Amino acid sequence: MTTRARTKNSYEHLAPLFVELAALAEDDPRRTELRDELVTGHLPVAEHIARRFSHRGESNEDLVQVATVGLINAVDRFDPERGTDFLSFAVPTVMGEIRRYFRDSSWSVRVPRRLKELHLAITAAGNELSQQLGRAPTPSEIATRLGMTKDEIYEGLEAGNAYHSVSLDDMLTQDSDNTSLGEMLGEPDSAMEGVENHESLLPLVRELPERERTILLLRFFGNLTQTQIAEKVGISQMHVSRLLARTLQKLRDGMLEPE
Amino acid sequence: MTAANKSFVDSSVDVGDIELRVPAEARYLPIIRSLAATIAMREDFDLDFVADLKLAVDEACSMLAAAAWPGTDLRCRFRVADDAIAMQATALSTVEGLPLDTNSFGWRVLTTLTDSASTRVEQVPGGYRVLIELSKRGPHPADPRMGGA
Repeated sequence: MTTRARTKNSYEHLAPLFVELAALAEDDPRRTELRDELVTGHLPVAEHIARRFSHRGESNEDLVQVATVGLINAVDRFDPERGTDFLSFAVPTVMGEIRRYFRDSSWSVRVPRRLKELHLAITAAGNELSQQLGRAPTPSEIATRLGMTKDEIYEGLEAGNAYHSVSLDDMLTQDSDNTSLGEMLGEPDSAMEGVENHESLLPLVRELPERERTILLLRFFGNLTQTQIAEKVGISQMHVSRLLARTLQKLRDGMLEPE
Repeated sequence: MTAANKSFVDSSVDVGDIELRVPAEARYLPIIRSLAATIAMREDFDLDFVADLKLAVDEACSMLAAAAWPGTDLRCRFRVADDAIAMQATALSTVEGLPLDTNSFGWRVLTTLTDSASTRVEQVPGGYRVLIELSKRGPHPADPRMGGA
């Protein structure tokens, strides 16, 4: 952690590492080492950018974590061959990540910190219990797990309604490689045969982001439960639920629009 | 109360039923789905059940709101049984757009999310009343089958 002002020059010593990294084979163990070094070395950049957003009401730790995710993405995607320096590539990437965080994950109404934390604790306990039980837990099972009263759990679950999306965990996993999932499903076209006016529905479904489309197809054509989908896609059941609600709304709105 | 309103008041509400009446407009739907989720949650159904019921109620009420005659109400009645929650939702409509299309994607959404879903149209003075009934069973915690998995 450092807060002292840095100039561009303080990162210059890291530049050769990118060249070295790019030259290594995919499975070279040295890659992880270099990647860590590059991320750690550039952390002050992430911290600096996070601070610029600190007046918006999200906690500083959360912002720094989000910015770090952006930084990791930037390190992974940066191509030293292109001739631009890393900072001019990384800054917009990190800012983009933070903006996305505000867009996707902000609470739509002011929710006290205590309730946000309660909601996160419930999400975590819910994930664990689903793993153990092989199905979604009930509110009373969550209460037992967390040593809380059922009323507290109700309160926390209801607070979740004010939450637009995602926990940090969800964010960290959303860029994970789930192409195999997409391949497994095949084209939406065949799945939707037999649904009336699927001609007007299909273009809307194709326009959905891949993850939303996958979740929609798994729930309504694959007959998986939300908990099973959550496990496959690597996000929480509550997040699946929010994404599904949003997707169905989008489809309903889209179907109403004149051709 | 006007005659039109009166005709829309249903016969009886069973003890234990929960009923909500809102203007038949999209912006009131969040209130209905929150109520559905709250009922299911407090009956201690599992979180998949709660989330699915919420989506189903949202879908059903969206269909009704779209078919409803402007300025009329949407009525939702919930009934809780040991291992299930049932909802009956009604709206007043004109004959155009009725009956609701049960081959649509929206209807498929409803049937996937619930154990039974049906719709019918009744003639009432001054128009038609369209109903959707759905019910969803869950492994209720009171049920001994629950426990393992």
